[in-house]
Amino acid sequence: MRDKLQAIVRNLGLYAILSPTFLLLAVFCFVPFVWAFTTSLYDYEIGGDRVFVGLANYGEYLGDPTFWSSFRNLFLLTLVSVATGVVFPLGIAKLIFSLSSEHARYLYRVVFLVPIVVPGVATLMIWGGMVYGDNGLVNELLRLVGLGDWARGWLAGPDTALWAVAMIGFPFASGINILIFYAGLAGIPESVHEAAWLDGASGVGKFFLIDLPLVLSQIKLLVILTIIGVVQGFQGMFILTRGGPGFRTMVPGLWMYFNAFSFQRMGYACAIGVVLFLLILVLTVLNLKYFKSSEDLQAAL
Amino acid sequence: MVKPKHILLVVILGLSAWALWPSAEERAGGGRLGDRPKASEADKARRPYHLRVAPALYLPGTMPNNVGKPLEGLTHVAEKFEALFPDTYVEFVGVPAVREWLVTQLAAGQAPDIINVNVEDVWQDVQKGWYVPLDPYLNRPLPFVKPAAPGSRQWWDVFKYQAITRGKAAPDGLSYCISFDMVETGIFYNKDIFERLGLGEPKDWPEFLALQKRLKEAGYIPLLVPLGSIADWGVDLVFDQLYKSLRPGIDLRTDPQRAAYLEGYLDWDEICLLHQKGFFTRRDPRWVDLWRILKEWRQYWNKDLSSADPMRLFVTQKGAMFWTASWSVNQLARDPDIAFKWGVFYPPPIPASFNPYGDGHTMCVIGGSCTQLTVTNTAFSDTGRPETSQRLKRVIAFLQFLTLPENAEPVINEVKAFLPNIVGVEPHKELLVFDEILRRPYTTTKWSYTFDLRFNEIFQRMFDLYLNGGIGEEEYLEWTEKNLDAAARAILVRKKLDLAPLERRWEELAPARREMKGLPDAR
Repeated sequence: MRDKLQAIVRNLGLYAILSPTFLLLAVFCFVPFVWAFTTSLYDYEIGGDRVFVGLANYGEYLGDPTFWSSFRNLFLLTLVSVATGVVFPLGIAKLIFSLSSEHARYLYRVVFLVPIVVPGVATLMIWGGMVYGDNGLVNELLRLVGLGDWARGWLAGPDTALWAVAMIGFPFASGINILIFYAGLAGIPESVHEAAWLDGASGVGKFFLIDLPLVLSQIKLLVILTIIGVVQGFQGMFILTRGGPGFRTMVPGLWMYFNAFSFQRMGYACAIGVVLFLLILVLTVLNLKYFKSSEDLQAAL
Repeated sequence: MVKPKHILLVVILGLSAWALWPSAEERAGGGRLGDRPKASEADKARRPYHLRVAPALYLPGTMPNNVGKPLEGLTHVAEKFEALFPDTYVEFVGVPAVREWLVTQLAAGQAPDIINVNVEDVWQDVQKGWYVPLDPYLNRPLPFVKPAAPGSRQWWDVFKYQAITRGKAAPDGLSYCISFDMVETGIFYNKDIFERLGLGEPKDWPEFLALQKRLKEAGYIPLLVPLGSIADWGVDLVFDQLYKSLRPGIDLRTDPQRAAYLEGYLDWDEICLLHQKGFFTRRDPRWVDLWRILKEWRQYWNKDLSSADPMRLFVTQKGAMFWTASWSVNQLARDPDIAFKWGVFYPPPIPASFNPYGDGHTMCVIGGSCTQLTVTNTAFSDTGRPETSQRLKRVIAFLQFLTLPENAEPVINEVKAFLPNIVGVEPHKELLVFDEILRRPYTTTKWSYTFDLRFNEIFQRMFDLYLNGGIGEEEYLEWTEKNLDAAARAILVRKKLDLAPLERRWEELAPARREMKGLPDAR
């Protein structure tokens, strides 16, 4: 104990340097979480009284008209996002990595990265108006090929809205994901490629047997980040459909927002927030525990 | 070593900075023509009363619907007011028309002093002290008018549509807004298309439907309408047609202050009790018919209710009728792309021949007060108490000054979208058609503004789904019932409503109901 204290005193300067970071983390991350959890135990309307209700908000949320439909939507969107956020960028990264010219590789990396400077909201507006709009790309293409009867409000249709939202970003060539996979592919030692070549592996077979297992760490990272992003995010639905028609594109995050700022039910909204936090926590733990990374595979070998 | 690409980069950066640099006018604070320059720090110190006003569509410097010149009417009013009160500076601000923004500003005491808010939204929060009741000022003489002029007895007298204005009192009996102007809806129709097809303005609902059928067969979208308008206006109009005859047996509370305009209007507490008695459930045949009528009507509207642009479809003559309001007149009257004559009629009544609960009475008013100027808690931020606040007095003075005919006329008629609610100010001649509608009786209730926003959110969503075939009638009715159950429970707690007096009145009205047909079957 005495040694520990002496060590702390000895490194006091370092702790002082680190303390602002921890202070900011505490103020902007930990305090709001504690505040949200506490508030979730109250019936609290902005500007009104706080009444302690225990876990009643959680109980009410289980019976909320949006509960099952919003989690079903979230599940589907997460599946699509994880699949598209891994498959397409990995394929593109592999194609770029396979180019023989370093100059061409650099050029393609830049080309795929540049679109990330477009703000997300602008992208959504473009999709909402120019792609899915009444006179948008999809409807005009249908009219062009004589299928005008199929033209519709893609984001307003009860059967099409969720898929229309899920397809936003097609062909899902996300710049950052491509770079992460590219870095993973570049990190595979040359000796591994040579050994594979000597063993007769090439083309698609080599990709699945050599490259894919060695970028599992990157896949694991992107799966976690995508899940967190989808569970927390609702901007797409908020801007394009507001969760409609009905609740066909509603997700829990958006319903939390409506409850907090439209209906002013801050306690109830906090309860939804805590449920989402727990969901992300559980999914992340499961991912870390059961999803093997390339390091795990190498260790097992 | 400086390379050519470095120079190019610096040039690009320099040009970008130059392009983005604000103009001298913008640096002075006035970003738009007709807008006022912002007060400097020295000016603020000299003029301690800095009032912030959010006048919605009348914001100086803006061009509503991109028609005409930038507005400047309010700028002149502010200058005249500041000449009278040199210690005051009036700033006009544009604010997001979203409740989320307003709630956060009010909670923080940072909202504009005067803001346009639908008063039904205000009613949701009156118990929080966010808004100032204006009755004490409305009941006193208007300070700026000469003896015997309207307003010299009480401020109330300057308002032209008295019943509508007084009808905006909250269910607690107090008035939290003044109605500066009026808006009314109407069905704008393409006269050329009507003439070509030999159609005229319909006299009743069956004629109205037949007309739309004919238009559809001719290849036009018969009626262009956004979902929000149907959920608000459409529901209330048809509801009034089916339920008005029941009023003598179900109107459980009469408010003398609002009776002149809102006689028979069903407030949220009355709806709560009626719902307990089986009204607005699957057991209520009128309720079921209401949604069936709207669903049948749906086949004649634009396919995409949420994101289609009805104005564009009307102007390009793809749609023959457009259900909109007086705010579209200016745009339609001055749009150079419009190559046809247009007119306005109002939805016709539902006769008994069409539905057993329709009695053919004239369709009621669905518009009414438009710019509803409300005084917020920011106005008394100097003392925190309305009774002692000097700042509040100045805010009220500006509001009163604005309602003088010579000030209101140039502001309202500059926009040509709304009808002035000030005695002595005539509406723009293009808007006269709406004056007749505004003199009709009011609707039986406004569902969009009854209960809380959660109720409305769920109601609109499920209505949208029902209209577009996402759910069937039975499921929809179940949703509305559950939604109404939850909303009624919530409001009874939130507003601490006591239904006992209404229950007594319900018993008293039993003889009147005995003669009525189609009441919910009792279980």
